[in-house]
Amino acid sequence: MVRDYNNRHALDQKLRGTPKPANADHLEVGHWQAIATVLAHVGLETAVERALSSTPELSLRYCGPGEWLVVSEVDTPVGLMRRLDMLCGTQAHVVDQSDGRVLMRLSGPCARRILAKGIGVDLHPAAFARGGSTNVLCGHIAINLARTGEDLFELIVSRSFAESLFDDLMTMGRAFDLSAAFSD
Amino acid sequence: MASLITCPHCGVRPKEEFAIRGDASLIRPAPSASDEAWHDYVYVRANPRGRTVEHWHHIAGCRRFLVVERDTVTHEVYSVVDGTAAAREARR
Repeated sequence: MVRDYNNRHALDQKLRGTPKPANADHLEVGHWQAIATVLAHVGLETAVERALSSTPELSLRYCGPGEWLVVSEVDTPVGLMRRLDMLCGTQAHVVDQSDGRVLMRLSGPCARRILAKGIGVDLHPAAFARGGSTNVLCGHIAINLARTGEDLFELIVSRSFAESLFDDLMTMGRAFDLSAAFSD
Repeated sequence: MASLITCPHCGVRPKEEFAIRGDASLIRPAPSASDEAWHDYVYVRANPRGRTVEHWHHIAGCRRFLVVERDTVTHEVYSVVDGTAAAREARR
């Protein structure tokens, strides 16, 4: 039996139609991102971290001790896997998550206040500095939150929770007139 | 219940991010131990008032098991350590 599989983005249903102009507070959904999880072998955590952070194209997101999400803006998923295999071939387990996770970028002057409605972590720059990242609970959904700028946050969520998180974020941002669209 | 837990990997977090997995002070009996010893280990739990040591699983964060020492009366948290580190310490 022959089946056709369509590669649809998890939020295609939510963001259908012509995109509206972005407001001051804007939620941008990465269309196709290269994301992978890296889990270092026991005892090799520092070696793997050093290898990964030596490459400026890769963005490291902390998940737990010896575990990171690696996001690449320039690579394709296959290219990212090849690069990670070269960087830490036998030192870590690497799994491609490009189709398994959805990346959302929340920007705007009220981004912190929007996130504060669902996240129990202090987001003041003194406590959660630029470049910081961590796993947190947003409402009832576990996400990875990273601060990439003063008013710029990146959220990485499992694909199956993406629609739910998207709805939650739009509700959290309704008072601030949050708009949403695919990037590019 | 203690509402803020200072995870050694993630920092101060609300208790909603954790799952409590029970008493951490139990010691697994030897495989050849009596049926009574195994029954007590598997099924019998105290419900202490005061200081308790428990396994907490940081499900929404680093996904590590932690050993939390807290007071069930005053809700004070005395210490939070990584489960692996605590087990290594106990084996010594």
